[in-house]
Amino acid sequence: MPADAAHAAAASLGAEIARARWRRRRQFAARLFGHPSFLIGFAILAAFVATAVLAPCIAPYGPTRINYRAILAPPSAAHWFGTDGFGRDILSRVVWGTRVSLEIGVSVVLLTGIFGTLLGTAASYVRPLDGPIMRFLDGLMAFPGVLLAIGLAAALGPSATNATIALTVAFTPRTARVVRASVMVVQEMQYIEAAHAVGAGHGRIVVRYILANALSPLIVQLTFVFAVAIIAEAVLSFLGVGPPPPAPSLGNIIADGRSYVQEAWWIAVFPGVVIAVAVLGLNLMGDGLRDVIDPRQRRLRHGA
Amino acid sequence: MKPHRTIARAVRGLGVAGALALTAALAPGLVDAQTRGGHVIFAQGSNPPSLDGMVTSSQASRNITMNMYETLFGFSEAIVPIPILAEGYTVSDDGMTYVIPLRKGVMFHNGKEMTARDVKASLERYRRVGATANLLSPVREIEITGEYEVTFHMVAPAPTFIESFASPRAPAVIIPEDDADADPGKTSLVGTGPFKFVDYVPDSHVTLERFDGYSQDGRHDGPDGFGGRKTAWIDRVTFRVITEAGARVAALEAGEVHILEAIPMPAARRLASSPDITLFENMPWAFSVFILNAAAPPTDNLKVREAIQVGMNMEEVMAISSEGLYQLNHRWQYPGTTYDPGEIGAEYYNLGDIDRAKALLREAGYNGEEFVLLTDSNIPQHNKAAVVIAEQLKAMGINARINMVDWPTALNLRLQDSGWNGWTLQMGIEPYLGPVAVTATLASPARPHFVVPDPTLDALYQALISGPTVEARQATFRKIQQRLYEIFGIVKLGDSGIMAAARSNVKGYTAFRFPRMHDIWLEG
Repeated sequence: MPADAAHAAAASLGAEIARARWRRRRQFAARLFGHPSFLIGFAILAAFVATAVLAPCIAPYGPTRINYRAILAPPSAAHWFGTDGFGRDILSRVVWGTRVSLEIGVSVVLLTGIFGTLLGTAASYVRPLDGPIMRFLDGLMAFPGVLLAIGLAAALGPSATNATIALTVAFTPRTARVVRASVMVVQEMQYIEAAHAVGAGHGRIVVRYILANALSPLIVQLTFVFAVAIIAEAVLSFLGVGPPPPAPSLGNIIADGRSYVQEAWWIAVFPGVVIAVAVLGLNLMGDGLRDVIDPRQRRLRHGA
Repeated sequence: MKPHRTIARAVRGLGVAGALALTAALAPGLVDAQTRGGHVIFAQGSNPPSLDGMVTSSQASRNITMNMYETLFGFSEAIVPIPILAEGYTVSDDGMTYVIPLRKGVMFHNGKEMTARDVKASLERYRRVGATANLLSPVREIEITGEYEVTFHMVAPAPTFIESFASPRAPAVIIPEDDADADPGKTSLVGTGPFKFVDYVPDSHVTLERFDGYSQDGRHDGPDGFGGRKTAWIDRVTFRVITEAGARVAALEAGEVHILEAIPMPAARRLASSPDITLFENMPWAFSVFILNAAAPPTDNLKVREAIQVGMNMEEVMAISSEGLYQLNHRWQYPGTTYDPGEIGAEYYNLGDIDRAKALLREAGYNGEEFVLLTDSNIPQHNKAAVVIAEQLKAMGINARINMVDWPTALNLRLQDSGWNGWTLQMGIEPYLGPVAVTATLASPARPHFVVPDPTLDALYQALISGPTVEARQATFRKIQQRLYEIFGIVKLGDSGIMAAARSNVKGYTAFRFPRMHDIWLEG
């Protein structure tokens, strides 16, 4: 039966396509994990996330447990990272602090991704909106991101939610720019014209054809935002506009240690090292992602 | 008078090194002569709100202004009122008239001599703009009764008048008559003190220089408290504002500043054996207190407040908030002072009795209402105490949340009737001044710290200020101490000290309520 044959052909074609897609993904993953800097970065991030998620199991003490008989104790078997001016265990506070960093980092990445994509796509795809949206975002970008976040967080009051809002406002313009630029390139492609020609709706064109092809710069940008958000959260907490005490965050642990740098270096050093390593890991991962996702970069790098 | 010196406990604990430090400390008095000249740099943590001496009660201002201005009466080293610009005073038998002769030949920095006209003008200005203007409320009229004499006519007899009038809290300083109409902060900053004003750059520094026309008080051999015979040896003093404690310590170690108002205790312990640094312990310096808002739920309930009092571990709060420089004390006076009320209230102090607290909370019907613990980010003792107290309240089952704001905001918020339940405070000057000053913050006519006036306490306060003899006032103060442990509006945490530090080449410096820049000199 011709119809059956057509169905069978379509089915086998479908299966073939699915297999090809699966193969492509496997190849992509193999390329990613074959990339040394991505691999190192991924390992660091995985450790960071695991620490944050498993904080209640890892931390030897409660993060706010006070012990006035162990004030400013140096690193020892009982307190690997020492204790602070309240006799609180620094290791436990750092472990719980990664949770705050991760929560804020992930929230900022999601919110920035959503708002950046909406604004960037709207600016590029709906031409009359381009001017107003981008000039507004340029206005926001005129302020250094962290400064803007400090101002907003100070105005809104110290809390984790407000820090997230402040950082989202600070980092959305850059993300929107990246999205707008890549959408602009993609929407001039012939296949978009073809999609228009076959009568695809705007929604379908934007989601299926444009965004799907404009995602890679966004992903790289968002790993960068994640890294910067972790540093910026530490900055906000250090300045006292992050999560209020006694909640631990990497920034406010360092701030607590600032008066004792000479007498109790461990308070500031350990969370500082954790921030440095986490950010290094994220940057390595971002670099690896960019190399693997962007074929032109790869060709440039390999001299092909 | 031989300058007395309090060596830090940390040094005392060091044995041989302590003995060496003591020898070094006593040596200048034995071998060195004071040397004239030099420039001393003093570091403090915050800007003076004003240099107009009478309009502010801020310690940051007092550090500076008490070197520029003087008052008619002030406290001696032994905290007894002594005449400074006054010759003395005589009270009429009915207590209604104070005749106050003035010292002659006292010069202002502008070169004019101080007379009764300046004194009257200054005190009339104090009534208008003085930060504690009500200390002149017992005075009906100030009359000029001679070129060098003023007479106070009183509203009613006030046995404790001279004591409160001598208060350095917002000192009733004498300024030239020309400045009498000046708005707050708009005077020419002229006084009679041993140092005169040069310049003020906010967020940076205030500079004073020696006033060569200063008229010493010949009735004494040396300085005594806020008064006495003052001799300025150094040419210039710079009061530098360095907000970061770590930076202040680094500046001291590097020799960029000579004296620190306060040094963090861990740094003090580290530097105790340093030959370049001398430590000065001011102990006791302040009451550490935790004020409860009796107007806002859940702390409007007496049982809840009692639960907090019995559930708290004061030692833990004090050890952490004072960094170890503290003494446990349930009294609303320093131990061993004239009005020490003894063991009254001790049965409620430093119990840490969580079970009893929980039982009282159940009795009170407490049901998880939020307890907002107000504190500020500027004064470490305040916010450290708040963090510890919050943990203790949580252990009692109280839903405590810290609201940490900056100091001016905290001062503003606690004036609201609601929005806060607890507030951490260091009471510095009031306990130094004695029972009247302490009780004045808790009783009408002022707004009591715990918001809701207590009629019994108000009546006791009136009895205290009108008590004719020390014995009568002591008896009243014991009742006040008792009452404070019945209404639980304010929790006494303990007494805290502060540690000052100086470069060892600064000689003659002693621990006191303000940094006396007279009678110190630089060696080498």
